[in-house]
Amino acid sequence: MFEFLFKYPATVFAKGNLVLLSGWPVWILGAAVAALAAVLGWQVWRNSTLGARRVAVWLLETAFAALLLLLLWHPAISIASLKPQENIVAVLVDDSRSMGIREDGKTRIEQALATLNGGLLSDLKQKFQVRIYRFGADLERVDNTESLTAAQPASHLAASLRQMAAEASSLPIGAAIVLSDGAENSGGIELDTISQLKRRRLPVHTIGYGREHPARDVEIQDAVLPERALANSNVVAVVTLRQYGYDRQKTRLVARDGGKTLASREITLKGAGVDQTETLMIEAGAAGARSIEITVESLPDEENVRNNKLTRVVNVSAQKPRILYVEGEPRWEMKFIRRALEEDTALRLVSILRTTENKIYRQGIDHPSELEKGFPSKAEELFAFHGLIFGSVDANYFTPGQQELIRDFVDRRGGGVLFLGGRAALAEGGYSRPPFSDLLPVTLPDRKGTFHRDPAVLEMTPMGRESVILRLVEDPEANVERWKKMPPLADYQEVGEPKPGAITLAVRGRHPLLVTQNYGRGRTAVFATGGSWRWRMLQDHKDRTHEIFWRQFLRWLVAGTPGTVTSSTPKPVLYDEGAVTLAAEVRDKSFHLVSDARVEARIIGPGGATATVELTPNPQEQGAYTAAWSADEPGSYLAEIIATRGGEELGRDVVTFSREDSVAENFRTGQNRELLTRLSAETGGRYYRPNEVAKLAEEIQYSEAGITVRETRDLWDMPAVFLLALMLRAAEWLLRRKWGAV
Amino acid sequence: MRKLGWALLAVFLLGGALSAWQVGFRPPDEYDDDAPIPPDANEKTEWAFARLKYPSIWRRRWRGGSWTTDYPRADRQFVQGVRRLSRVHACSAERVIDLSTDEIFYWPWVYAVEVGQWDLGEAEAARLREYLLRGGFLMVDDFHGTYEWQTFMASMRRVFPDRPVVDIDDKDPIFHVIYDLDERFQVPGVQYLYSGRLYERDGIEPKWRGIYDDKGRIMVAICHNMDLGDAWEWADDPRYPERFASLAYRIGVNYIVYAMTH
Repeated sequence: MFEFLFKYPATVFAKGNLVLLSGWPVWILGAAVAALAAVLGWQVWRNSTLGARRVAVWLLETAFAALLLLLLWHPAISIASLKPQENIVAVLVDDSRSMGIREDGKTRIEQALATLNGGLLSDLKQKFQVRIYRFGADLERVDNTESLTAAQPASHLAASLRQMAAEASSLPIGAAIVLSDGAENSGGIELDTISQLKRRRLPVHTIGYGREHPARDVEIQDAVLPERALANSNVVAVVTLRQYGYDRQKTRLVARDGGKTLASREITLKGAGVDQTETLMIEAGAAGARSIEITVESLPDEENVRNNKLTRVVNVSAQKPRILYVEGEPRWEMKFIRRALEEDTALRLVSILRTTENKIYRQGIDHPSELEKGFPSKAEELFAFHGLIFGSVDANYFTPGQQELIRDFVDRRGGGVLFLGGRAALAEGGYSRPPFSDLLPVTLPDRKGTFHRDPAVLEMTPMGRESVILRLVEDPEANVERWKKMPPLADYQEVGEPKPGAITLAVRGRHPLLVTQNYGRGRTAVFATGGSWRWRMLQDHKDRTHEIFWRQFLRWLVAGTPGTVTSSTPKPVLYDEGAVTLAAEVRDKSFHLVSDARVEARIIGPGGATATVELTPNPQEQGAYTAAWSADEPGSYLAEIIATRGGEELGRDVVTFSREDSVAENFRTGQNRELLTRLSAETGGRYYRPNEVAKLAEEIQYSEAGITVRETRDLWDMPAVFLLALMLRAAEWLLRRKWGAV
Repeated sequence: MRKLGWALLAVFLLGGALSAWQVGFRPPDEYDDDAPIPPDANEKTEWAFARLKYPSIWRRRWRGGSWTTDYPRADRQFVQGVRRLSRVHACSAERVIDLSTDEIFYWPWVYAVEVGQWDLGEAEAARLREYLLRGGFLMVDDFHGTYEWQTFMASMRRVFPDRPVVDIDDKDPIFHVIYDLDERFQVPGVQYLYSGRLYERDGIEPKWRGIYDDKGRIMVAICHNMDLGDAWEWADDPRYPERFASLAYRIGVNYIVYAMTH
């Protein structure tokens, strides 16, 4: 119908440019339309008795006159089209295993071959040279469609398109057609690929295969675990699930390490197609690289059970972070925090307590002279700790130099600082001034009398319910109930509002009680009480909630505190590819960036294979070093990054990653129409369903890639123009007749 | 509606009890009306001298029993010393903690005097055991000789049937947390002023003993064959030797700060 009315396919209008062939300036057309409108207006106003209806008549007459004037200017469309038989059309067929999924009696690859052999190829060959490629892990040219069997272990669409764009620089490729279900195991089509295609002006038309979602399936979309954890600490796995056909059914989420169940929890599935986030608290166990398998138990009649399992690598650190607790007066809170950590093999608490005006009592020190002079005044000494706790100690107890050092401890060293409530803490202790006021995640009231020795009940916020800090028991609902049974705190302190970006985990009524925030490279928290010891004294001696809370809280405080060398890799899991980038940031003992270090990665791969790679400094970024390496075998890898300078070791760190082959194809098996549509739209192509491809061969010829010819096509003789003119006149006549003016 | 009423009443009573335990100076029936109550007796503080009220072997049992010895003068005088010698936020007035209630769990440091006469029932023993295992600290004082030791241990064995009572080593932090107390000597009661004897009954040798928990922390600090309570009470009497009072204060302050750090 469109083509009947407008003479040409819609693609012509979408891709072409409107031109006026008369050669007369366009402004004259505008002026003429304006003048004619004025004359007609004056005429209608003077002669008509139609009152307000005159406007409608004037508009219709003006539109008609404008249309006639436009036709005088000879409108046409200018469009580039591919020269017949001089251009190549690349047909890229997805040959990955997901194309072997059978739907409605046919596999996706069979459906794609049916499209090609059902007329599309012959139509294309009439106008273009056709090259057929198959893509999976790589792009490969094939002579015919018979070799397409959906056997490739992965689909790297983006890499294949980049390869084809490169070929287009030496070949007259006019357009590309991708027949695929949209699976892309490398994580999507990045901007760079789109830019390359755009530079070549190469339109990519896509034909999508496969149902957009399965009928009955539960899939783990993602599982996020911290890359690092302290030994025997709890880590939270945030698991995203999606299901179809199992609304509100129950299943079980399980975490395993080498067959040993680490955690397990029953969950109720949400609505179809809804991304559902569940958390699973896992004990990290002893030091070493942990390969943790997250599984959602399969349900009856699931179409695909291979997407019920994901593996993530967690590097469990052997280091024992040290926390320095400074307390200005003997307090029960300190005693019971110390006790809570005594059984914790992963954390060490060192404390300085002001017992009298001139005496301090140190606990947890390594040697008699440690902290002999009180709170450290040198960066090297303070930065040896990973976290700090400030109890009921006046801010003025610290010299201005020490206060700035505390800021640097968080900002530059990346440590964690916890501020407790107390009669000499927060607003009472003069913490309303910088740098403490900057570090605090809350504002402080500008007054005294904020500390109250009255009972206070801790209530979790929605964010608190998700936090590992407040997770006393595994099940989130049971955890909420457990907190409701906790005895009141012995005291509380008033604080102001949480700062932007801060996270309030717990409140006292409507007032913040436990708030955290990130600051610089580190993190800070305020727990506005000194009375959590009541959780210990008012509950059975076998109850461990007080210990669990403090261990988790303080592990959170220091778990992210980096060493002098921090290593990372952008993709901890490599799907069907080996290219990996190792990056490291190197600092000295004062945590200043070091750019003249020698940095080396010692890699241990599957089967004990070893390799050594040198990381080179990144000239753009001080202290940053990178190296590219290839993990050729599937399996887990551990890279120890060692930085030295002048023969002295600055530090070392461990990063883990894994290569998983033939796994990604089992996930997101529904058609990724969004990806295909976006790819077409951004490159000037179009997304087709298999039953819409009849006009593809015709529409594909309008392209600016390859060898093209630009032509202009008249628009004045479109049937739509005459129909519009007729409708304008008929409308005026009908209106006048209705009003009795004819 | 009636249920709601009962619930509200229960909440009210519970809340009242909680706040009373946390707050208040409440003179017991045994309180000597002549002893003036300090103006800041109701101040809410981190620590207060918590005197344990326990049943004794004598008939008077709960009322006016041996637990009241030196009360309240020793407590008040000692607290003044705690305030002066340490940064402990201490209340000027003591609290009397009745072992027949759960109030003890609000006071992680308690002092029991003349425990050579105490007689704990099973319920009190179980409560005291639970208190100590949760992290509470008990200091016992002013009992002398073999007979009183045996009486003390008879009840203590109901609390901890198997835990050994050991002499506290001089190197233990409890003797060093503020003051280094390597050189200790017998602190006599006020009877010394009349008798000239340092000891009472057959308790010639002073013993600093303790019952430890599984982590090597002292739960019960036992001051046997000495009378620190009298030393606190009579510290301002010019006849009572300063060196005894001074050591008694230092031991007491160390025991408090140890309890707040271990």
